[in-house]
Amino acid sequence: MLLPRLFVNSLVLLACLSCCLASVKDQRNSVAVEEFFRLQNADGLPTSTSLNHTNNWAVLVSASRYWFNYRHMSNALGMYRTVKRLGIPDSNIILMLADDTACNARNHFPGAVYAGSGRKIDLYGDNIEVDYRGYEVTVENLIRLLTGRLDESVPRSKRLLTDARSNVFVYLTGHGGNEFLKFQDNEEISAFDIADAFEQMWQKKRYNELFFMIDTCQANTMYSKIYSPNILATGSSELAENSYSHENDNDIGVAVIDSFTHHILQFMEGINKTSHASMQDLFSTFDHRLIKSHAGVRADLFRRPLNEVRITDFLGGVAHVGILPEDDESEETVNSAEELGGHRPILPQSASLWTTMNSTEPLGGQSVEWRATRSWTAVALLGGLAGWALMSG
Amino acid sequence: MLPQGLWALSLSCLASHCLAAGNLENFDELLTVRPLRDGHVTTRFLFSITQAGATPRVPDAILEEDEHRRCIAQHYSLFPLSLGQILREYAVTEVHLSLNAGKWDYGSWGMPEDLAVAGGAELWAWMGDSDRVGVDERWKGLRNALSGLFCASIGEMNEMRTTSPTYAFRPEGQLPLLFSNQTVTYQLRHASLPSEHVCTENLTPFLKLLPCKSLAGIASLLNPHRLFDADWHGMSIHVTWDELEGVKLQLSVQAVFDPVRSSTQQKRDFSFQSLFDRSISTACSVASNSKVEVALPQGVGYAITPEPLAFRDQIAVYDTSELVSEPLDISVRYPAEGSFSYPLELSSPLTDFEISRTFTGTTQSSGKLTVSIQNNRADDLQILYVETMPWLVTFYLHTLDLRVDGQKRDELMTRLKYAPPEAHGRPTLLEVELTIPASSILQVSMEVIRSFLRYTEHPPDASRGWDMPPAVFVVRNGNDSMTYGERVYTRPVLVDVATPDFSMPYNVIIMSSTLIALIFGSIFNLLTRRFVAIKVGDGNAANGDENELRNEFG
Repeated sequence: MLLPRLFVNSLVLLACLSCCLASVKDQRNSVAVEEFFRLQNADGLPTSTSLNHTNNWAVLVSASRYWFNYRHMSNALGMYRTVKRLGIPDSNIILMLADDTACNARNHFPGAVYAGSGRKIDLYGDNIEVDYRGYEVTVENLIRLLTGRLDESVPRSKRLLTDARSNVFVYLTGHGGNEFLKFQDNEEISAFDIADAFEQMWQKKRYNELFFMIDTCQANTMYSKIYSPNILATGSSELAENSYSHENDNDIGVAVIDSFTHHILQFMEGINKTSHASMQDLFSTFDHRLIKSHAGVRADLFRRPLNEVRITDFLGGVAHVGILPEDDESEETVNSAEELGGHRPILPQSASLWTTMNSTEPLGGQSVEWRATRSWTAVALLGGLAGWALMSG
Repeated sequence: MLPQGLWALSLSCLASHCLAAGNLENFDELLTVRPLRDGHVTTRFLFSITQAGATPRVPDAILEEDEHRRCIAQHYSLFPLSLGQILREYAVTEVHLSLNAGKWDYGSWGMPEDLAVAGGAELWAWMGDSDRVGVDERWKGLRNALSGLFCASIGEMNEMRTTSPTYAFRPEGQLPLLFSNQTVTYQLRHASLPSEHVCTENLTPFLKLLPCKSLAGIASLLNPHRLFDADWHGMSIHVTWDELEGVKLQLSVQAVFDPVRSSTQQKRDFSFQSLFDRSISTACSVASNSKVEVALPQGVGYAITPEPLAFRDQIAVYDTSELVSEPLDISVRYPAEGSFSYPLELSSPLTDFEISRTFTGTTQSSGKLTVSIQNNRADDLQILYVETMPWLVTFYLHTLDLRVDGQKRDELMTRLKYAPPEAHGRPTLLEVELTIPASSILQVSMEVIRSFLRYTEHPPDASRGWDMPPAVFVVRNGNDSMTYGERVYTRPVLVDVATPDFSMPYNVIIMSSTLIALIFGSIFNLLTRRFVAIKVGDGNAANGDENELRNEFG
């Protein structure tokens, strides 16, 4: 009689102990997850960390029509190639091209767009998806895209499906002036429209951080009206200053790329997915002699110091992987899967991986589980005590 | 225990059902190469995926949970899922989409293998009518979904471009009787967008629909840089249903190359390498049939390498399902021929009839549409003529005039159907059946007016004009039968409409604001200001005159 009882009791105690252990582990995990996501502050604004976003999106717009604006198409396509190379998938890139230069009858190189006079890299390639093109590239469509006010039947590939943890890169190029950018030589988007669209995005929790880049004449005026938080902006030229093209190609017959975009793409060529280069590194290379205009940066709305903001935070695809070791050693969160393989050893067994898909739910789930395990531990403890009392009695 | 058992049972049933459905899919690929007498080479890639036993979705079931969703509809092994989902979502029975660039020259190239050669984009679909979700709503959804899938502006094919011609676009497959005890009506929606560009971004998603993508089989030849350099190129998808075959998807790419243009010695020799800059190195293993057919040139000495598997009616057949050692690079050479000279004389056309359509007129408000149809046959020809125009071009039907050799021949027109346009809405649709006398030219003309558009209705490049959809001609099979043969498209026409000076509104705004400011300002001044005489001391004699100002109004 005694033996089975002892057995049962020991079992109960064991269960109890493991429960406690598990709950401790759970608690530690939840803390780690919290660390990992760096939850939002009480005022609803993200803290100044680099790990706030879980996905990256890019909106690339070439707003000019006609063959002689070839360079605007190659500006946008150069950016397209860069963000794709740095890891943003086609499904997260919205590419708007107002005209078709690649298959234009005047293009001597069908199906190809080049951004340099040597014609070394074909930006159009074999695998490209243009989401809005031709007459569809309008101010209305851009604002609808940004703010998410689209007809129900509009397919996913034409939507910006961002959330509060998306880092969005918005790139515009075309002909512009003081506080406006022309679309197809027909209509204009003003700096106020852009600012209001971004504010609406912020209120609808459609971005975590936004990087706005514009290459047009008097580009810096286009970001001057933005007033929403967490927006970093850069432009190619000051008020009353032109933004010039970089070079011509004699076989194509027109200018192939703009100076500012060329400069940025040159810089990006030295960057790969695991690069730690910061925005400050990029902005410090802005030189009037190289770009032929005064490129500007606006960071007053942005909460992080620019030397801590990686370029891949905006132009790269994010894959957050966190490692939570079972033993008590320091827990680390690592940015991007490549780093995991490249720089840090993969910890053996039971290394829990979080691919960051959803921000709040896992946390909520953790706390509920923690409460449940706590109550069960209490029940088990009581049961154990009662068993002990019975056995001793 | 019982529910668990049931669950397992149903799961196994489901799984077996799914497997059964998956096994019935079939993928065939066929490349047809045809050298033409004017030195061009047409190539047609045809990829057919059949899903035996599958049926189009019943439109009434759209709002209900799709029973087949978990199984047949979502578990394709070869049929592209992204397209299958669209067809199911909008309960489309039959759909045809084509994206083409260039003008198909029927006279010198003959009838194309794939009839859908309309310039720009063309989309037409047959859908079962339903009280619950209307055809028009689903047509809109279908347009948008396909525009997303193929990176094209098909979403722009709105009500201003949609028509339902009666005879020209009959279903190419069968339309299932949805309920045995109830008659189900099917409706056609047709729209075309002649200004649509075709480029790599359309080919990319197209290739992604294929089971082997462009990695293996004949699809590996589809090099965008060469395809979009072709004199004519186009791609199309056709989804049909047949009681015996099930749902059939045909993806097709057609291109007409000019080997003489790219040859340094002006020769019309061609090979896969010279046309596509690629050769077939791996076979698509899921294809049950993978063939290349090369039509052999007539009346000239030629050499074809490698040795074909078989010959059939002047066609060399190759099997690409088992490539042994080296990549397949079929080449046709004309050893006896030096440089190829384009035929200067007009040789006899390859089609029964030729059409030219022109838009004439000196003003921007009116004009004349002239169509001339030449019958090359020795007997009469019965042709159905379908003309669709956006509302901004309105026909004056009473001016419809038919002439043969300058003689008025109104009796040659039978069965006229006309749907007038609705301003800022529905397009014009004209369907006429014509009889063209043997070996003669029929000229059909009518006067049209071009509307004055609203300021905002102009496209961004307004001064370029509007591309009008191609007219469609269909030959009637025999005199009595109501069936029609192959469709022939004319080229699109460009219509110039009156464009305003787009800076005018700003001029008007600036002018009127200036006038208002002036008028209001002076009247306001006069009404509110009081003019009074000011007595200034005698010391300022020099200013005396000015100080004696008087207000005449008191």
